[in-house]
Amino acid sequence: MSCEVKEKERVGCINPIFTCQPCGAQFASIGIKECIGIVHGGQGCVMFVRLLISQHFKESFELASSSVHEDGAVFGACSRVEEAVDVLLMRYPDVKVVPIISTCSTEVIGDDIDGVVTKLYAELLPTKYPGREVHLIPIHTPSFVGSMITGYDLAVKEFVAHFAERTEPSDKINLITGWVNPGDVTHLKHLLAEMDVDATVLFEIESFDSPLMPSGNHVSHGDTTIADLRGTADAKGTIALNRYEGGKAARYLESEFGVPAVVGPSPIGIRNTDTFLHNLKVMTGKPIPESLVRERGIAIDALTDLVHMFLADKRVAIYGAPDLVIGLAEYCLDLEMRPKLLLLGDDNVNYVNDPRVRALQENVDYDMEIVTNADLWELGDRIQNRGLELDLILGHSKGRFIAIDNNIPMLRVGFPTYDRAGLYRHPVMGYAGAIWLAEQMANTLFADMEYKHNKEWVLNVW
Amino acid sequence: MPYHEFKCSRCIPERKQHAVFKGKGETITDALPLGYLNTIPGSISERGCAYCGAKHVIGTPMKDVIHLSHGPIGCTYDTWQTKRYISDNDNFQIKYTFATDMKEKHIVFGAEKQLKQCIVEAFKACPHIKRMSIYQTCASALIGDDIEAIAQEVMDEMPDVDIFVCNSPGFGGPSQSGGHHKINIAWINQKVGTVEPDLLSDYVINYVGEYNIQGDQEVMIDFFNRMGVQVLATFTGNGRYDDLRAMHKAHLNVLECARSAEYICNELRKRYGTPRLDIDGFGFEPLGSSLRKVGLFFGIEDRAQAIIDEETARWKPELDWYKARLTGRKVCLWPGGSKLWHWAHVIHDEMGMDVVSVYTKFGHQGDMEKGISRCEEGALAIDDPNELEGLEAMETLTPDIIFTGKRPGEVAKKIRVPYLNAHAYHNGPWKGWEGWVRFARDIYNAVYSPIHRLALLDIGKDEIPTDKGFETQRMLSDADLPDEVRNDPVLREYTGKYNCLKDLRKKTYPPFERNVLAEAV
Repeated sequence: MSCEVKEKERVGCINPIFTCQPCGAQFASIGIKECIGIVHGGQGCVMFVRLLISQHFKESFELASSSVHEDGAVFGACSRVEEAVDVLLMRYPDVKVVPIISTCSTEVIGDDIDGVVTKLYAELLPTKYPGREVHLIPIHTPSFVGSMITGYDLAVKEFVAHFAERTEPSDKINLITGWVNPGDVTHLKHLLAEMDVDATVLFEIESFDSPLMPSGNHVSHGDTTIADLRGTADAKGTIALNRYEGGKAARYLESEFGVPAVVGPSPIGIRNTDTFLHNLKVMTGKPIPESLVRERGIAIDALTDLVHMFLADKRVAIYGAPDLVIGLAEYCLDLEMRPKLLLLGDDNVNYVNDPRVRALQENVDYDMEIVTNADLWELGDRIQNRGLELDLILGHSKGRFIAIDNNIPMLRVGFPTYDRAGLYRHPVMGYAGAIWLAEQMANTLFADMEYKHNKEWVLNVW
Repeated sequence: MPYHEFKCSRCIPERKQHAVFKGKGETITDALPLGYLNTIPGSISERGCAYCGAKHVIGTPMKDVIHLSHGPIGCTYDTWQTKRYISDNDNFQIKYTFATDMKEKHIVFGAEKQLKQCIVEAFKACPHIKRMSIYQTCASALIGDDIEAIAQEVMDEMPDVDIFVCNSPGFGGPSQSGGHHKINIAWINQKVGTVEPDLLSDYVINYVGEYNIQGDQEVMIDFFNRMGVQVLATFTGNGRYDDLRAMHKAHLNVLECARSAEYICNELRKRYGTPRLDIDGFGFEPLGSSLRKVGLFFGIEDRAQAIIDEETARWKPELDWYKARLTGRKVCLWPGGSKLWHWAHVIHDEMGMDVVSVYTKFGHQGDMEKGISRCEEGALAIDDPNELEGLEAMETLTPDIIFTGKRPGEVAKKIRVPYLNAHAYHNGPWKGWEGWVRFARDIYNAVYSPIHRLALLDIGKDEIPTDKGFETQRMLSDADLPDEVRNDPVLREYTGKYNCLKDLRKKTYPPFERNVLAEAV
């Protein structure tokens, strides 16, 4: 009876859990207002990421490519960046922020994007665009390092580092959410409002769930402003909800400007949300109001209806973003469920030292496996060939066929969830997220009981 | 020369020669945009890369193959589960994708050892699959790994496996089209002629440039089977690797998507003398004449005619029901490459729609020649469109519907233009007579969607109509139809099933005819 952390044994990857770093940087960049990123590499690095994001949100977001072709790959492609910046600025007069996001190809050929940026600041911008506020931010995201998760973490830090500027101390705190959905941001902002805490939220992505307006002119984009980013250095503290998606920026603000940082835990489930509110209280001195006591009570009430009757001892496999997977595992344990397998999809060496992972290792009293650098084959193979029995799978849409082919109910959670409608609208964080997760897990199990005629009559008198 | 200058692109004057209005009485000699040139950086073009053109468009539809990308995981992840190229072997090629997961140390020290391990691992993980395609990516191309040598080494050590190598890094060429070319040539160079097939019929073809989107290939194979024509191999949708190694033995190459697969047909003609016959599987008339042409080649036109008669009688009343309701509706036909000419004329002729614009992301001038000559006068033809131009065109042309990709479809949605997925289809298959009716139904349901009507109402400013609790597509489409059309006893809506492939896959056919005498010769 133990919880074992191990790395995937195979060297290759069958059905990856993550895509590569530039995707994370692109996802971060669309959260910023008046920002269009330029990805320096082949066109697929942008085209497919735009497609992926549009699959998830059913919206289109603007991202540009430097369109490196064969000549660029051979002779260097820095001139493509120069041209791309110029073309972009000419045609998008509102754009102020342009991250230059590198890829494997342009890192291998050694294109000096920092040098290009310096040159553009010295030549193109003052001559052709005098008086226009333009920020060019090189972001090095070679695809052969880390994953989309590290790419996101790095990009958030680069944006903060570019803009953060110490002026007057403010009463605000920084809330770095990590790679979440609009539904999470809405709920987190609700919690902040109830606590009467003024916060800069990185990033303001509620607007990713954008309307189809009668004027017919809406473009989806995030709402975080340059002023928001600039003010992060003046904040009285930073809470980064996700250790691996935003933790780097929080630590940067702490070391560079002395802004105290609290990194994690992801507020998934009741307990971690309690901790989040505790951290808010300590950082701001504001009390937790009765309204949240009541809100928590509603959540606890909802969970009490489900846990020991339906959720207890259900065996779960969870894969996806590390903070999400760990947070879900912790929450499942509180719900009396048994996470049997956690898959963390990249080779980040810090996972083994994550205090949450350590706590699982010390306290779990049944067999649990945590696989790092994992792919989805680790899940399918255990089910098909190594006797892993599961009642539920939690993960994103790329693993859908494992659930379908093995007749295991699955709740889509994380990014991307393109094979279910509107999931980005619902939070997994906070008390609202705790309710949504538990009830969706239960409903998923219920539907499965009915399809399989597996004690479906139990629900008659519930 | 009626070049069209987009307002949004005045600052990049070279764009002017990429957009052309087809003026009255003009032909392609007057109106042909530039095509297949390098993309303008930062223009937010819709183009993809040559890796995707090779791996995702042409390679992966092969169904009994481990598709392994040699590079970082992103290329693999991004080209996985974003298309609908199905197969009749439980969609192995959709469900599984393989990457060598190249990391920094491999960039520095090389990844050939890693590649070899991954190949062996993958075959071990999928013992029922004995064939593999390896795709180079930007990273593995730049560090110069010799993939072919490694593949050969494995084949020497594992005699029951066969491996194909496609060297088509993402940066190779202006768009995905560069990858189409590279994989065509790589396949014929490496694999064609390495398997000798059983010829079962006197009439043997390869079906080329067909990717079995939502079952298109299976619909077409049904027609060929009914004609007694043996399809030796399909390049590549629902195709088997070993069948494709035997392409040299077919009597005829029947080519569907000439944009992506004409290269291999041309090489087969050059090297093996196999003729190339271009066809259109979309639309009653083009499909009928395509089957007739195949029949004519073998001297069995009567068999083609029998199918045409049967299918037309079955489906024409349904197509015409939609035609009566789609006539005069404006469409922007904005696919990737070949569908701009596959569809340009036939959606006008058979559904009555007016094509107000054609565009191509990765087509060449030849595609524009075909598309422009087939589309209506006054249509705007755009090569390598970008985000702002697309918006400007939609605002000026005010189409009733747009046929394009998933993500550009979301852009259209925001300016209240319904879209159909031109690459992956909404409710396909769209090939075959029934398929064409399914396409018409999808168009009809999009154009006459009550929700799209509601999207036009501004409840803050407009008079809110309070007299209706609902509207149906029919209430919208039939409002201005003459009574005799509305009540035409012959016409009817689509009567097929949601999944029309289920029955098709159960179908059996009489054995092919083989002329023993001819064999002796």
